[in-house]
Amino acid sequence: MSQFTQQVILGLLLGGVYVAVALGFSLVWGILNIVNLAHGALVIVGSYITWDLFTRWHIDPFLSLPIDALVLFVIGYALQRGVINRVIRAPLLFTFLLTFGINLIIVSLLLLIFTADFRSVTPSYSGNGLHLGSVTIPYIRFGGLVVAFLLAGALWAILNRTRIGAAILAVGADRDAAQLVGIDLRHMYALTFGIGAAFAGVAGGIISTFQSITPTAGDPYTLQAFAVVILGGLGRVSATVLGGLTFGLIEILGQSAPGLGSGYANAIAFVVLVIVLVVRPRGLLGRLA
Amino acid sequence: MIAREERVPRSLRRFAVPIGIALLAYVILVPLTSTDTAQQAGLPLLADKLWFRIATTVAMFVVMASAWNIIGGLTGYASFGNVAFFGLGAYTVGVLVSSRSWPFPLALILAPVTASLFALIVGIPLLRLRGHYFAVATLGIGVAVGEVVNNLAPLGASTGLFLPIVRSDLLFFYLMLGAAAVAVLSTWLILRTRFGYGLLAIRENEEAAKIIGVNTNLYKVAAFCIAAALTGLAGGIFAQWNSFINQENVFAISDNVQMILMAVVGGAGTVLGPVAGAISLELIIQTLAGGGSKAVYSQIGLGVLLAVCVIFIPRGVIDFFGGQSRLSLQYLRQTLRETSA
Repeated sequence: MSQFTQQVILGLLLGGVYVAVALGFSLVWGILNIVNLAHGALVIVGSYITWDLFTRWHIDPFLSLPIDALVLFVIGYALQRGVINRVIRAPLLFTFLLTFGINLIIVSLLLLIFTADFRSVTPSYSGNGLHLGSVTIPYIRFGGLVVAFLLAGALWAILNRTRIGAAILAVGADRDAAQLVGIDLRHMYALTFGIGAAFAGVAGGIISTFQSITPTAGDPYTLQAFAVVILGGLGRVSATVLGGLTFGLIEILGQSAPGLGSGYANAIAFVVLVIVLVVRPRGLLGRLA
Repeated sequence: MIAREERVPRSLRRFAVPIGIALLAYVILVPLTSTDTAQQAGLPLLADKLWFRIATTVAMFVVMASAWNIIGGLTGYASFGNVAFFGLGAYTVGVLVSSRSWPFPLALILAPVTASLFALIVGIPLLRLRGHYFAVATLGIGVAVGEVVNNLAPLGASTGLFLPIVRSDLLFFYLMLGAAAVAVLSTWLILRTRFGYGLLAIRENEEAAKIIGVNTNLYKVAAFCIAAALTGLAGGIFAQWNSFINQENVFAISDNVQMILMAVVGGAGTVLGPVAGAISLELIIQTLAGGGSKAVYSQIGLGVLLAVCVIFIPRGVIDFFGGQSRLSLQYLRQTLRETSA
């Protein structure tokens, strides 16, 4: 029983990471209608910033998260304003291919700058955890979960409590109408993508605390972010949170099922994904399209 | 996505047809200079090992890009999981030849069968999805099938499968060339039948197609199965040609993106667009890929190329080589204006 409890806790903690990764992805998809295949690469850029600050100046990984957010916001804003805005009205295959190309470029640049070596961030408390009876909660993973909830709260507040958020939602609901009421579309697209990238950066910072980083480590996260958004549903912050936590649980519990192992993580995820897509395409909490 | 009927103006046809015939004659005849009789007769060796490797790879991508074009270009369903068919075809041949010691030709016949059976099974639920959902669900299929194969002991798990080596550059080149011809001819034939018009109708407006009596589900699944069969055939040939297969070399998602890129750059929805795209892009990739540290730059080059093509020539190069439009600064500016914010 306690082993099962441990699995559930690990699943929820992993789910927290997925929530963090998927928030920005979901925002960009929901508002801009872009499935950003470079999302995982942006996540890993955040990881490398945290790693660099940690090894060079011994900055605690959790303290470097705002820096990740800031740098990635600038990168994201520039990418959307300079490049992706050029194909925003093209059929979706083109934004798909374009973001794949951007992914390729970012990964290659990371490879040139940081080489393919495994990098890890190991603060002094990284091995410690909270022991409750036979159940252990690693501090680092718990910190990640807390940050994920803070991010979700922040995104919700931005979208629902600020003028910029209202403008972003307006753009997502009806581009032409938003333009008619005086919203600068190009700026809003770039701002939305920038916020999405900033969230990806923070997620990357969290990831670097428990996983070794390589330039290609982000690719699975793009797919997982997609699965989380499908599972939860598009267009709501709460849906992404629920989707992420559920996805983490499914992954951990699925791997401990007899006959399966950690090698099947992606396969389990996608079987779930395909079932959800076919049975309930709008996800657990999604709005009707 | 915008593929119109290919109407090549006479002035262009005067050049295009002879050049096409010359190119075809070249790829069919040049390999023959490597045979013993030709060498003894003192003919110059025009096709060395490297030539065969590159030419066979190009032909392989012609098959994959043309096959993708049938489901992605004609039907409008952008599949990111076609590489699963390639992998399944390769593993069909791999398992039958290496563990069951079937003769290669017999195993090769089964490669497209396995691939299209799989396409039938996953196609029926997945082709109900559209847009992003279809794209990523198929992407998931590609990843998931590769991962399952990577974990199954009878399929060699993560070590992969080794096939008895067959040393014949000539055989594999002609096989792949034959597969490419079959792929191009199938596309050409499909576009001339009721089935082809049905697919185009689905791409343009699925609801309308249904109303005018197109059995959309049947047509979509059939197109998916044909694409799968062709891709599986290429995979089967690849398995014996390379004599080693594992998850990484036959289930590479980057291959899937490459075939899409080739079809789109050449001109999705046309017969010869994917061929032109596959030949030109694969030659560029082979030239850039010097191995070692250069590989990184080739990746960056590919990424930049992808971005430039998508932004400036979304209709593919066939659009101006085929005489629909002229390549000019104004054309680039116009395509940019059509899609930007």
